[in-house]
Amino acid sequence: MDERNKQIAYKVISIMYFLTFFAMQGILVYRQFVLGQETSDFEDIAIIMTINSIFLISALLYFGAIQIRKLKVKSILLMYLVFVISGSLFTYFKYNIFQSPGLSFEQLFEKLIIIVSIVGLLLGFWILLSVLGKKRLDKELE
Amino acid sequence: MYYICRMENIKLKIARVEKGLSQQDLADLVSASRQTIGLIEKGKYNPSLNLCLSIAKALDKTLNDLFWYENKD
Repeated sequence: MDERNKQIAYKVISIMYFLTFFAMQGILVYRQFVLGQETSDFEDIAIIMTINSIFLISALLYFGAIQIRKLKVKSILLMYLVFVISGSLFTYFKYNIFQSPGLSFEQLFEKLIIIVSIVGLLLGFWILLSVLGKKRLDKELE
Repeated sequence: MYYICRMENIKLKIARVEKGLSQQDLADLVSASRQTIGLIEKGKYNPSLNLCLSIAKALDKTLNDLFWYENKD
């Protein structure tokens, strides 16, 4: 296998990975919102996809595939807000639009606290990984 | 003006033929496939610097001899 074969193989594998990933996402949405299945019915797929996405982004950050020149507080806060808002919107739609009876305000607030904490932890983990990845690269360049 | 474009690599083809090598022979020398060598000659694949160096060494040429193009407008 020479470098061209490897390049083609990597490209095909990446495309197939994303196609599979989006197909699984589609299956989840279909099962949840069209078939109206309980979350527990497809929890295994959801957990695999979540862990997969977290590891994918982590590896991309650590190995320098996503280039971050400078970590600015403003952009981190903005990213945090975007994640929290999209997570909250998803939760609201999931429980109060597509399911009835919906959650009460208190229950939604509890979910919001979970979202805020998880997003905070995730972002912190990714920032740490990108810093470590940058240090690793700098060390290799020394 | 200097620029790189996807054009047929005549220099590589000539150097290979002058050396009496077939595409397969050159491919074996640089641990690549015949198709890869063919595509490089046709300008349809951009080889890595490592592969360029291997090809240049196998043909007793420099990188400039094989891969440098100068176009003047």
